[in-house]
Amino acid sequence: MKTEINFFKTYALVTLLAFVLVQSCSEDFIDVDANQETEDALTPDRAPELVNAVYNSLLKWEMSSFGWTGLTSIASDDADKGSIPSDTGADKNLLDGLQITPTIISVSEVWQGHYNGIQRANQAISRISEFDMDVALQTRLLGEARFLRALFYFRLVQSFGGVPLISNITSVDDINSGILAKKSKEECFAFIEQDLLFAIDALPLKSEYPASELGRATKGAAQTLMAKVSMYQSKWPEVVAYTDAVILSLEYDLTPNYEDIWKETSENNIESIFEIQARGNEPAAGVDKYSTIQGARGEGGWGWGFNTPSQDLNDAYTANDLRREATIMYAGETLFDGRVININAPNPRYNQKAYSSILTESEQTGKNVRLFRFAEVLLMNAEAKSIIGGDVATPLNKVRLRAGLTAATDLSTLAIWEERRLELAFEHDRYFDLVRQGRASMVLNSKGIPFMEGKHEVFPIPQEQIDISAGALVQNPNY
Amino acid sequence: MKSKIKILVLLLLVLSVSFGYTQNIITGTIVDQNNVPLPGANVIIKAKQKGTQTDFDGNFSIEASNGDIITFSYLGFIEQNITVASNKSYNIILKEDVSALDEVLIVGYGTQKKAILTSSVAQIKGEELSKEPVLNATQALQGKASGVQVVASDAPGQASTVIIRGLGTVQGGRDPLYVVDGILTDNINNINSSDIESINVLKDAASLAIYGNRGANGVIIVTTKKGKAGKMIINFDTYTGVRDILTRVELANASQYVTYSNEAARRDYLTDNNPTNDDSTIGFIPTNQPYDTNWLDVITQTGLVSNYNMSVSGGSERIKAFFSAGFNRERGVLLNDEFNRLTLRSNVDYEISKKLNFSHNVGVQLASGTPQNYGLFTAAYKQAPIIPVRDENDAYGSSVNINNVANPAIDASNDFKRDKNKFFKIQSAFKLDYEILQDLTFTSRFSIETEYGRFYAFRNRLGNFLAQNPFNTESSFEGDSENPANTRLTVTHTNTYRWFLDNYFTYKKTYNDAHTFNATLGITAEENRGEFLSATRNNVPLDSNLNFNLSTGDEDETQLNSGALGVVDRLYSYIARINYDYKDKYLFGASFRRDGSSKFKKGQQFGNFFALSTGWVLTEETFMENSVFDILKLRASYGELGNQNVPLNVLAATTGSGGFYAFGQNQNLQQGITITSTIEEDLTWETTEEFNVGLEFTLLDYRLSGEIDAYRRLNRNATLQLELPDIIGFDPFNSHVGEIENKGIELALNWKDNINDHLKYNIGFNVSYNKNEIAKVTNPFFNEQIGGFINNGQYTKKIAVGQPLGSFYLYDVEGIDDNGDLVYKDLNEDGVVDESDRAFFGSYLPKVYGGINLGVQYRKFDFSVDTFANFGNKVYNGKKAQRFGNENIELVEFNSRYTTGRPSNTTPRAFNDVPLSSTYYLEDGDFFRVNNITVGYTIPSTEKSFFNSIRVYATAKNPFIFQKFTGFTPELPGAPLGNAGIELDAYPTLKSFYVGLNTSF
Repeated sequence: MKTEINFFKTYALVTLLAFVLVQSCSEDFIDVDANQETEDALTPDRAPELVNAVYNSLLKWEMSSFGWTGLTSIASDDADKGSIPSDTGADKNLLDGLQITPTIISVSEVWQGHYNGIQRANQAISRISEFDMDVALQTRLLGEARFLRALFYFRLVQSFGGVPLISNITSVDDINSGILAKKSKEECFAFIEQDLLFAIDALPLKSEYPASELGRATKGAAQTLMAKVSMYQSKWPEVVAYTDAVILSLEYDLTPNYEDIWKETSENNIESIFEIQARGNEPAAGVDKYSTIQGARGEGGWGWGFNTPSQDLNDAYTANDLRREATIMYAGETLFDGRVININAPNPRYNQKAYSSILTESEQTGKNVRLFRFAEVLLMNAEAKSIIGGDVATPLNKVRLRAGLTAATDLSTLAIWEERRLELAFEHDRYFDLVRQGRASMVLNSKGIPFMEGKHEVFPIPQEQIDISAGALVQNPNY
Repeated sequence: MKSKIKILVLLLLVLSVSFGYTQNIITGTIVDQNNVPLPGANVIIKAKQKGTQTDFDGNFSIEASNGDIITFSYLGFIEQNITVASNKSYNIILKEDVSALDEVLIVGYGTQKKAILTSSVAQIKGEELSKEPVLNATQALQGKASGVQVVASDAPGQASTVIIRGLGTVQGGRDPLYVVDGILTDNINNINSSDIESINVLKDAASLAIYGNRGANGVIIVTTKKGKAGKMIINFDTYTGVRDILTRVELANASQYVTYSNEAARRDYLTDNNPTNDDSTIGFIPTNQPYDTNWLDVITQTGLVSNYNMSVSGGSERIKAFFSAGFNRERGVLLNDEFNRLTLRSNVDYEISKKLNFSHNVGVQLASGTPQNYGLFTAAYKQAPIIPVRDENDAYGSSVNINNVANPAIDASNDFKRDKNKFFKIQSAFKLDYEILQDLTFTSRFSIETEYGRFYAFRNRLGNFLAQNPFNTESSFEGDSENPANTRLTVTHTNTYRWFLDNYFTYKKTYNDAHTFNATLGITAEENRGEFLSATRNNVPLDSNLNFNLSTGDEDETQLNSGALGVVDRLYSYIARINYDYKDKYLFGASFRRDGSSKFKKGQQFGNFFALSTGWVLTEETFMENSVFDILKLRASYGELGNQNVPLNVLAATTGSGGFYAFGQNQNLQQGITITSTIEEDLTWETTEEFNVGLEFTLLDYRLSGEIDAYRRLNRNATLQLELPDIIGFDPFNSHVGEIENKGIELALNWKDNINDHLKYNIGFNVSYNKNEIAKVTNPFFNEQIGGFINNGQYTKKIAVGQPLGSFYLYDVEGIDDNGDLVYKDLNEDGVVDESDRAFFGSYLPKVYGGINLGVQYRKFDFSVDTFANFGNKVYNGKKAQRFGNENIELVEFNSRYTTGRPSNTTPRAFNDVPLSSTYYLEDGDFFRVNNITVGYTIPSTEKSFFNSIRVYATAKNPFIFQKFTGFTPELPGAPLGNAGIELDAYPTLKSFYVGLNTSF
């Protein structure tokens, strides 16, 4: 009997030990498949998605909404802060009065939003260049990404002057004072032009895209941006050349009725060269609160009431100019879609170009934001020719006649500048135009806006970014 | 088969002992003080090396000669000796061992004798949880154990937040690990508190290291009841009670509200500085208002709670079983906020043979609730009293012309919404113990836990849109969208599943009556799975939502917003522990766990965690023999613990709304993908090192006992956020760049005395002090994260080196100026008040907390009082600070405000702007509260009664509070950078009154 007990003990011990030992050999038990998509998911078949995500950054608040509107419109003579006195919109009162400091959130948003888009473009460019994939598609996708990167850098240069240039995926270990430091404006423009030259070659015409791909960057868009970049450097022959190329491509024409341009039905129409594609229906992929910020405030309103057209802009339109009614919505006005703006709204005027007829309550604006349109190409063409010679009247009058005006009698550069203001009001150019034209202090000071030469040509670099760079990033002059 | 042989063998052995010689046969029964028979008690004649055990009814019979000394013993009772005389029959009453010297505590993967424990463990006995109504076991821990901070919540079905020895992490999980009958789990909401035998809280590294990379936040071990051999016992317990808001905030009435709002309006117009403005152009609110609504009364009601619990337990020598069923029903104080829970438990122990034991513990929970939005409390606080619940046309009152607060009555009602949550959870552990040798036991345990959650949400969006604002029309709903979603139904299913396999050996042996070894060695494996599936459908018919039927509604885009997610992770660990003591005097312990977790990068999945501890029981020394101390023990420990509940170390691709974009005339979405961040290659678990010294003492004849502990725990690779310069374009990411330190002292004292046979009492006191701070940060790109957003664009908190977590970062109000406006201190004296003038003003974490507990037993009456206090924390009055304009104000604010005729230097003038986050809204969180007063009376049983005992009792929960905070409750759970310590959308503390019944048959 004792033997049996011993046998039993031994048997149990051996069995259990064996079991434990077997278990201990299986540390690979914890090798499991990944729970989510990671870097490894970025295979060549997803190359278009990498580029789509760059477009997606155009929808972001920091890229396109409050801060950007503040810098480009509220700071200029076209717009006032708007809204109610107690609502400053964080710092829009300071932008309106050019009391700008490096700590205001608007510059911080614009800086961050654009570099975020650049990062996405760098991701797409670096990765797609390495992919073994259909060469034609690869070229087009790289063209799209480089066009977008050029657009983002151009807007940064417009806002801040020379900025740091990041052209690759940058890891933590790569960060040094060389990367953090500003490059000169000239270096930036050269970098932008390189991207655009590539994009012009790589991108198809608007008509060459299938209908389902409408909205992607085109050769025409790249040429338009190239013309604009040239204009900012006063390279007038290039401006003529690139705008001519767009005009002669016969891809574009003006919308017959100016007011129609900003209706939902006119999205991507004949005049459209590049616009942010915004979808308001669920699942929404709209521009974050773009319409909400600028919508009528108060009872019966649908927005916050910021970026309101100034009295000065209102008065700048001549009586017959159809563009005034199309640009400005007035308190008490009945809009084209039947909506009535409350006569007691806190502001007398609102920006109609940001008005979205449907889904006004939606945070994600379904309205495409028009970035480049044919009328601007015509005006750039006219402006360049007014300086280096050529047929100014044809492009300029085309724009004027559509606006319900008569042919121009004054073909001077100054006249084209005024035309440009009225045609492109609230299209995010006015402040930069005044600076580019070298008359910002003259024009703004005369209207009581304290523009200081040598300071306000550019906005300040966000203070926290200067702090974090430990001195590598230098503040713009006089801030 | 083997085990049957085994049983036979044992039976033969027993028989051979019983019928050896023929002498006097001594018989008798062994019972406890309550006359309950003790089966399996030992009856031994030491001199003759023979013995037996009592049977099922406590009877024994043994042969002995006159003069033999028979020893009667039973675990947990004081041994008794008798010398055999002429009597043939003895009735032995064993007394419970009050000295508690042999008290055994359940620790990780085993048990240890409390007397020789070298770690800091707090224990709550199950009896304390059944003597009074306990809705959630974690809440019952409040004020009972030092080092255990409980932030209670009175919301139906809601658990309390438990923080053990301070907050040690920002990015990682903050909750302690719960271990229920060996199952490692996230919470104990599914446990019926009547089923709990004991709760042990492991506080220091010496006891926690065995839980490796999940030990850093402390461990709470819950052991459920087991059946005992002997008479079948049936318990039936029930209680029912009412609940109401403990502290109310008095608000301005309609006419005061109008006065205030009109003053604010006039000031706004004057500051606007428009010369054409005068009183006639101001949109004044008319002074004679027909309504004066108390919104809190509108959305609340008296809460009701009822609880029923039945258990059956008992067993034979071989099978011991415990079964219970509990049902809890709660109607919240907020309208339409209900919670029901049914729990079932079956714990059975099988003695297959003397050496082989098997047990299973199975717990099931079924719960359902109709959740409510606690933002309603804020809405009721803010909504203007001049707005009616319903106007003269029976339409819901709307404040759209005045402020942006929705009518709370709409959201509190089920008119335009319907929600339901259902949960089903099973926890089961199957355990096999085999005694290989006398001193060596092998334990194998397989456990599974699975939980299903179902969430139904129906919204009548159009109906709500029309009710909220009289200006809204059906045609203006969603603009003129072609296909507006008038109704929407979302159904979400979640499932988590985990299993564990633990195999370990336990070795216990004493050599030469002096050297005792207690060792554990084993391996555990674990898998966790989670799944999620959600579907939404628009334009579901109004009626079909009653069954939350997804099969109706729009045909197109039916699977709108559908989402699914599955995750799996696994752990594989080695555990080892050894305790050694020399004659219960010199104590040493070491424990170790090697944890491998699939969450981390390959090659970096394994981490080692260990602890060393030592103790010295001075009262075992001869020089202490005549001291006042019954027990005096010194102990010290050091160890390293991990927190693997940290954000994952993967470069997650951004997809969905973060990447998609619409192309084409029809604006079809095309998917997008990008990488928006970078990673820290070496990111892994957080490691906390802890040093602890403690002193335990018992004196004055075991009447006074206590423990003092001092500790320093340092999370030396805390996961904090890094934010690179914006030009790099990456989102903030996590990295091990900081150290978070908690230092503290804990004291617990218990006094227990019997004045006479009729009067016993005990007093417990415990207090804990903890100092928390981010001690160090090693990277220049450390992101001083801000948080505590109060949803009006203002933030209130920031993390920074040298500050406790969850510190408030605010403008400092220095007074009121001549216009009646708040004046903020220009801290950096640069002439402007801006962001850089903010400063830190303390954290929501208390510096000191503790409780005093009193229990008195007089004849058949029992009386208990539990209190809790909390000092040194700050509370932000978020609901008051979340002002946009024309919200209601507190009566105190109205009465003390600055007016031209009556300047004030404490309260600003009437205003309608968004106020800056400032010290004006920061208040002291100190409070002292009576958590419980219970009076009970026990009806004793007699020979004739059909019951063992019946106890009736009445309890008041939270009847009194003394608080400095002017809001509803200073107890505000949440995340350190979230709503913790901010009263915004918070559930108020409730007072409750119950009557209850404990019966035993």
